Amino acid sequence: MSTKINLTLKVWRQKNAQTPGHFETYQARDIDTDASFLEMLDVVNASLEREGKEPIAFDHDCREGICGSCGAVVNGQAHGPERETTLCQLHMRKFRNGDTVTIEPWRAKGFPLIKDLVVDRSAFDRIIAAGGFITVRTGQAPEAHATPVPKDKADWAMDAAQCIGCGACVAACPNASAMLFVSAKVTHLNVLPQGQPEKTRRVLNMVAQMDKEGFGNCSNHYECEAACPKGISVKNIAKMNRDHLVASIAG
Amino acid sequence: MSAKFGTLLGTSVVKKQIVALTGLIGVGFIIGHVAGNSLILFGPEAINGYSDMLHAVPELLWIARLILVASLVLHVYFTILVTLENRAARVDRYALQANHGETNWAKKTMIYTGLLVFFFILFHLTDFTFPDKTGPDTVLTGSEGEASYGLYGLVWNSFLSVPRSLFYILAVCCVGLHLSHGIQSLFQTIGFFHDRYTEKIRLASNVLGALVALGFSLVPIFVILRHYTFGPDV
Ligand code: HEM
Ligand code: FES
Repeated sequence: MSTKINLTLKVWRQKNAQTPGHFETYQARDIDTDASFLEMLDVVNASLEREGKEPIAFDHDCREGICGSCGAVVNGQAHGPERETTLCQLHMRKFRNGDTVTIEPWRAKGFPLIKDLVVDRSAFDRIIAAGGFITVRTGQAPEAHATPVPKDKADWAMDAAQCIGCGACVAACPNASAMLFVSAKVTHLNVLPQGQPEKTRRVLNMVAQMDKEGFGNCSNHYECEAACPKGISVKNIAKMNRDHLVASIAG
Repeated sequence: MSAKFGTLLGTSVVKKQIVALTGLIGVGFIIGHVAGNSLILFGPEAINGYSDMLHAVPELLWIARLILVASLVLHVYFTILVTLENRAARVDRYALQANHGETNWAKKTMIYTGLLVFFFILFHLTDFTFPDKTGPDTVLTGSEGEASYGLYGLVWNSFLSVPRSLFYILAVCCVGLHLSHGIQSLFQTIGFFHDRYTEKIRLASNVLGALVALGFSLVPIFVILRHYTFGPDV
């Protein structure tokens, strides 16, 4: 049964990277508990627009937890309180009538703020471009059985490939480190036979690009894994550390 | 080679791997040290004999010391560096930062427990390593003809001071806390992860941290209990 709740929102408002931001308090009234968090923000934005005020800017696209566009830190937790759930899939039934909800953008040097809750995550694209690809022969698709993939490796690659690049790992990490994202992208290719030719270059170049973007180092707090909406394991970080060690000695 | 080496030294992963390797050397030393120290509970012959054995081949002792000092210097340099970088990576702080369920107190205080351990090591060396082991500080109360008890006497007399003993206990608890996260962390950093064993390593790391703190604390506790309950030390 859906019911209606009222919430007090404390939302980070910031015009652009050059202007200092601040918290603004809004009342969210008559929010359906079946609504998603983003739908709740839509309702608040509609009333802001009616009052002639600037709506809250936030990123979103699929609204079904697969694109990685959405995300904000809600009451101190990336994507809010529910495990393995993106902000667009978080439902208002997780909140109680009268709650105060603090909403902040991802905060990291590697993710410069654009506006309100929207940050620039193009650092992730540049990391992918540095090595998140394999060499394939163009033309006809190869015969599927030409490259056998062991089941455990295939499973591991598929698990790592679940990463939607939302940036929650960076947002949740006490060091704003991007190691979980980068390790997922390195590992899902490095464990597969198709990823072997570029294995060494991939890990060195993607880590180098990650450092250049200003993300922190990994202190193994594992907050990233707990915050990840796709349950990416820190096992990938260990694998990337191992590949990097081998690459720096032998590569 | 050297250009590549320089580039590698600048990467986050390599910096952390140096921290892990130097930390591992420290862990090896500490486990040996806590085992060696407990010989004190068996009397002066046991601990002084152990100390003489370590000093038997001065060349070996100096090689070991060199490795340990170099490891410590590298560890401190790189941990301070990564900690500063990590703070710089989060320019704006969150108004609210909740725990997502994985970090803990030991992990968040690595730099503080580490720094305290660093100053403790300096103090500790001037306390037991540098002083003369035959002087008046090594004579126990009640010993006949002012006989020296060597290292045993030095340690014993030092721990008779309750505030000093408490400071030692605080310091070794910091060592234990540092290692409870450090040991499990170093495995991850050098790239060891196993679906079954990693759980066990995390447990062993916490247990070892606690045992190290307890093992080192036992010595001052033993000295104080023995002195203040049985009187004369010989
Ligand atoms: C006997 C002395 C010490 C031992 C055995 C030791 C051991 C370790 C180990 C095993 C780690 C884990 C490395 C990793 O995450 O892979 C570590 C991390 C760390 N150590 Fe030490 N340590 C010692 C002294 C110190 C000192 C003196 C400092 C002072 C600055 C320090 C600061 C740190 C910090 C900040 C970290 C965490 C680095 C990070 O993950 O970001 N340690 N230590
Ligand atoms: S909007 Fe696509 S994952 Fe949330």
